[in-house]
Amino acid sequence: MTGNIFYFLAFLTLFAAIGVVASKNPVYSVLFMILTFFALTGQYILLNAQFVAAVNFIVYMGAIMVLFLFVIMFLNMREDTEQHKPLMSKIAAAISGGILLVIMVAALKDVDAGGYNAENFNSQIGLVEHLGQVLFRDYLLPFELASVLFLAAMAGAVMLGKREPGEQNRF
Amino acid sequence: MTSIILLSIFGIVNLFLGFMKSKRVLLPIVMVFLAVALAAAVRDWGQLNTYFGNFNTMMNMDNFAVAFSSVMILSALFILPFSRSYAVGENANLAEYYSLLLFSLVGGIMMVTYENLLMLFLGIEIMSVSMYILAGSDKRNVLSNEASMKYFLMGAFFTGIILFGIALLYGATGSFSLPIISAAAQALEPGTAPLLLMGLLLVLVGITFKVGAAPFHFWTPDVYDGTPTIFTSYMSTVVKTAGIAAFYKLLSAAFGGVYEQWFPTVVAITVLTLVIGNVGAVAQTSFKRMLAYSSISHAGYLMIALTAFNERSENAILFYSLAYAVATIAAFGVLKYVSDARGSNDYEAFSGLGRTNPLLAFVMTVAMLSLAGIPLTGGFFGKLFLFSAALEQDMVWLIVVAVLMSAVGIYYYFRVIIAMYLRDAVAERVPVDSLGTFTLISLVVLTVIMGVLPGLFSGLL
Repeated sequence: MTGNIFYFLAFLTLFAAIGVVASKNPVYSVLFMILTFFALTGQYILLNAQFVAAVNFIVYMGAIMVLFLFVIMFLNMREDTEQHKPLMSKIAAAISGGILLVIMVAALKDVDAGGYNAENFNSQIGLVEHLGQVLFRDYLLPFELASVLFLAAMAGAVMLGKREPGEQNRF
Repeated sequence: MTSIILLSIFGIVNLFLGFMKSKRVLLPIVMVFLAVALAAAVRDWGQLNTYFGNFNTMMNMDNFAVAFSSVMILSALFILPFSRSYAVGENANLAEYYSLLLFSLVGGIMMVTYENLLMLFLGIEIMSVSMYILAGSDKRNVLSNEASMKYFLMGAFFTGIILFGIALLYGATGSFSLPIISAAAQALEPGTAPLLLMGLLLVLVGITFKVGAAPFHFWTPDVYDGTPTIFTSYMSTVVKTAGIAAFYKLLSAAFGGVYEQWFPTVVAITVLTLVIGNVGAVAQTSFKRMLAYSSISHAGYLMIALTAFNERSENAILFYSLAYAVATIAAFGVLKYVSDARGSNDYEAFSGLGRTNPLLAFVMTVAMLSLAGIPLTGGFFGKLFLFSAALEQDMVWLIVVAVLMSAVGIYYYFRVIIAMYLRDAVAERVPVDSLGTFTLISLVVLTVIMGVLPGLFSGLL
């Protein structure tokens, strides 16, 4: 049963991901992306990672996708205004991407991914309590230092977005 | 650890200092901040400080880390005086620029101290995010916008590749920790661990992008060209030093036992980088673009020590990073003064500089000689140490390639010297402030000291 759900979700993920790249209308791309994230959320639940699933659901499918739609609305992108790549670069990209795919499939097809042992499997592993303990005990230092990353990104975003003296808002 | 905490706090303090009426005071204050951070980093010399336990070690402040952190902070300290024109011009965003530089140094130190791939990833991200923003700091300039956008998109893509690699390594070994990965890598039969090798390959590709080595160098010329000169000099010295040190640490601490597995890949990247960097630099008409290609080629020289991978490598990389950083900062410093005064980054802008500004021309000459690897400069001994590390592994053919490419390098480094001394002056004297003069002279003195008394720096690690 779980295996079938996995294959269905994997198919859905791949289908939607290809849809993101292939669809000409950016709004369709975003909708396909929401479907991709939805399928991924299902995978997280199968992996017993409920917290990550909830966060993925709320943050990615909710907040970030709304942001995407807003940006597309503001940019007012349409099919005819979109720039198209020349055919040569499309072919080149397809060939180099295909080579990478072949290499990765060839290298990874024999991997023994390892099963799980039902006896000592901890079903609580993906819950908030366990996650919090790992985050604040084992990975406390990276967790704290991530704040520097966000601070830098925030200061930079404000700096780039701030109106300079003598500049006028165009919206 | 002290230096990381200090730099983070200084960065925040500096953001608040930006509220002051005059921006002029920021420059001396930030220089003091960096000097304090440098002292804090050097204080850890000779002792091994491990952070966060034995089982889950996150970072190791050993001599390797202290040495490379010091090179990075010192480079930043040498770069800052050239931002004086921003301070005098009361640039509205000066405090943010300096804060981003301080934050990116935090990332740089994480990249040389990490014992856990999570720390490596965070360090790379902190450093890169700051650089994406600084690349676009000249908001009204289209080239700067292009540089920022290109760097951000490519950087984000390669971040994804690194993460994928780290995930595969986790799948193969069950840990992010370097010692555990190292043990697991040695325990596996060679050639039968595709997950591990694939992960290693992807992480390698990601870091290769960050140091700007071929074939992942395509962003370098455009980004370096469009970025404001002062941040270009930061990218090509501090970011490169951090990247190459992180690369060495990854290969030695986690994959030292499977040298045969990654050797062909790394040696191919090295040769490709050397050839593309040097041959690409020949064709440039812009001095700044030439320096961008030159930074690719120097990544190639540094990677010779990675391919050699013996007990000489660490010291060779350290010495070469320092010599390269000092010479490059001097070259970019002179370029900044010349392009500010003459409005161009081309070779022609340097015409007759030997007559109008003998000091600037002399500094540039020494920097070019050092980058080309002429004796009596730091660059000569830097290359000598790299080549002797390679010689110990009997990689004569690699040295032959590198020496041939250095000969190509002499051609394009000497073009600017010829322009400065043998062409007629196109413009007036270039104005230079006293702080900049002092910095340029100290850089020249340091280059010559490294060229005459290399023993002072060569056996540190």
